[in-house]
Amino acid sequence: MNYEVVFLKGALAFYTLATAAAFVYLYNKDDKWSSWMFRLVGAGLALHLASFGFGMHYFWKIPDNRYYFPINSFFGALSFLSLATVAVFFLIESRHQLGILGAFVLPWAVIGTGSAIIFANPAVEGLVPALQNYWINIHPVILMTSYAAFGNAFGVGVALLIQERQIKSRKPGELCYRLPSIEELDNLNYRIIVWAFPVLTVGIIMGGIWAYSAWGRFWGWDPKETWALITALVYAGYLHMRFVKGLRGKKAVYVSMLGFACVLFTFLGVNFLSPLHGYLSGGG
Amino acid sequence: MTRILRSIRFNIFLGALIAFFSAVGTILPQLGQEPEKANAFMQAHPLWTKFFSFFGLFDLYHSWWFLGILALMAVDIVLCKLWNKPPDVGVVSLPPELTNEEDLEKHLDKKEAALKLKPFQAFFTSKLGLNEASKAAQGHLKREGYAVKEEFFLPGTAGAFVGTRHRIQRWGSYFAHIGLVVILVGALIRSVFGFVEMVPVLEGGSRRMQRLFDPRSFSERVQQLFWGHPWTMKEPVDVYVDKFTIEYYPGTMDPKLFASDARVMSGDQLLGKKVIRVNHPLDVNGVRFYQASWGAGGMFRSVTLKLGKETLKLPQRVPVKIPGTPFTVEADMMLPNFTVTNGQADTASLDLKNPAVRLMFSVGPHQTSPLWLLKNYPDICFTEDAQGQLSHAPAPPFQLAAIDPILFSGIQVAYDPGFPIVVLGALMWLLGMIALFYMHRRRVWVLLESAGENSCRTSLGAWSSRGTREYEAEFRLLAKSLRSELKSEDNFQLTENPIVEVP
Repeated sequence: MNYEVVFLKGALAFYTLATAAAFVYLYNKDDKWSSWMFRLVGAGLALHLASFGFGMHYFWKIPDNRYYFPINSFFGALSFLSLATVAVFFLIESRHQLGILGAFVLPWAVIGTGSAIIFANPAVEGLVPALQNYWINIHPVILMTSYAAFGNAFGVGVALLIQERQIKSRKPGELCYRLPSIEELDNLNYRIIVWAFPVLTVGIIMGGIWAYSAWGRFWGWDPKETWALITALVYAGYLHMRFVKGLRGKKAVYVSMLGFACVLFTFLGVNFLSPLHGYLSGGG
Repeated sequence: MTRILRSIRFNIFLGALIAFFSAVGTILPQLGQEPEKANAFMQAHPLWTKFFSFFGLFDLYHSWWFLGILALMAVDIVLCKLWNKPPDVGVVSLPPELTNEEDLEKHLDKKEAALKLKPFQAFFTSKLGLNEASKAAQGHLKREGYAVKEEFFLPGTAGAFVGTRHRIQRWGSYFAHIGLVVILVGALIRSVFGFVEMVPVLEGGSRRMQRLFDPRSFSERVQQLFWGHPWTMKEPVDVYVDKFTIEYYPGTMDPKLFASDARVMSGDQLLGKKVIRVNHPLDVNGVRFYQASWGAGGMFRSVTLKLGKETLKLPQRVPVKIPGTPFTVEADMMLPNFTVTNGQADTASLDLKNPAVRLMFSVGPHQTSPLWLLKNYPDICFTEDAQGQLSHAPAPPFQLAAIDPILFSGIQVAYDPGFPIVVLGALMWLLGMIALFYMHRRRVWVLLESAGENSCRTSLGAWSSRGTREYEAEFRLLAKSLRSELKSEDNFQLTENPIVEVP
């Protein structure tokens, strides 16, 4: 039995329940739903960590894979990305107690773990020589942490757009009172991005340093690199528009959402453009 | 003109342009990344190709105009940083500095009005005289990590000072942007002075690099420059691969390790020697030799043929007599990944996924048509006619038992003198980012007005680049500790714009 998959399925079940609780909380004022969501997410996170632990255990059965993280395959990457998303969400939630954010962020964790289970192959393979380097424990981990944070910012952005519509409509519903103010959501969206943007750029630069030690070039314009750069440019645009032009609210959120679309394309779409630097080719 | 160039709006536009064309380059096949795909596209769409080639779209990232946009952006960032002050939202400055004391007294009320514009405020009355209160408050702020600057002090009347913490944040933006420009400069240095050359070397052989390079170390170059030697001493360089090793993961054809025991020579002089493998290059004074790829080119030391119980070892292109028969057999060609293209023998790649060997049999002067045997599929066999066309043949009574191929090691030689500069820029960028985004600037304005011998009205105003919620809690703590420091017993008001009462 593959315990990595078994525990991941358990985590998926908890994430799904937590998402359901988060949606109930959108319409039901009772705070017990949000505290249930928080607990369910915590349980899911624990199972997910266990799954990742088993993943490492299986991965390290091949001596050449020791002691690298199992994030070279599509399965490992999706699982780790969802884990990071939930972990970032857990941190934000425990600090800000927004409750409401779950409905907009947790679906990503469900989609991520779900597609890992349904579409990706959990079979363990030996790392190709290019990936047998300590950078594999740093470069993708840092980048996926930033992706996870951007996913959370996207959730906040969706909440802001909903709140905006609620306030503009003649009869604001229950939701309007549940959601934090537009200003607060805008500020949170900004603060997550401001935290994640340096992480993203540093991850890209570290990739360049790794590429230099593996192939003698810092930058090679392969589609993955290029799209990561585009993502960074879009978020840099967002930050400048905010700092300098004082852009706030809906328009700022649209720009940040464009950034997240680029994140998704960098993570997924690029694999269909070119076999280089992807999950489908085993890396390299 | 400079107005447009130094505007941040224009820089955002340039960034969007770079993002757009970068995206185009990932969709249109690039000669630099995927030459086969690009050539296939060019053959399929001749009309578009004319148009795209004119704008250099098949090598977009190195086209003059794309590099031009990058350079323009670098220049613009510098211009922006020179002309524009860093954005400083939230700072409401005090009224203009006043020079003489009479004016100060007149403007005291204005100072208080300015304080009331700060995002956070607190007011209380100290049980200390003005002098003591000022010293105590400044001392307290200093202990809290604030740099204190006195605005004015009028003995017996009033005093004001500003405390700032994490002032470095303001420079973070400069540092990060300069780092970005330094990275671009490093990339420019690479494209001007650096080079990349692919050198495929057969195991046991050597190959001369096309590019000559100066193998001396930097200090040698500097020394020789001063002793009047020529500026460059470019010499031909040979790369030797004495032994090439490849290991596969058990049960697969996925390589787990490949390595070359390599030597780099300039004439008789040994420049460097190392077993190089992926991620572990050989460094010769900055020129680095990387294990990039490997492959089978069609050469082999021998193939082993199995005829019933007997085995026969055939070196390449050496006819060998088959014992007990009048036949002579010769193995002349090997294909590492056999496939049939347009009816002819071909190889799909250079790795040994499906090796096949061509055999020729002869009796005296008579030669049979060549026969292709596949190592992994002993039942499949092809004959080749004079035009090279293949046709299926019945399975022969002999099989390929083993092939001992001579592999070539793909060694990539790269010289990038810009790399240390890129790393320096990256470090500046990182430090700038940390200062800009993770170190939040705080400013506290303190106004003390004497109200009798042992009494002093204290007004605090504060601003921070931190989030409102986070700084509110921090300011509350600071105001409370300052209040006890100044021996105030007021149940003071802590206000935020708009004023909120706090117990």
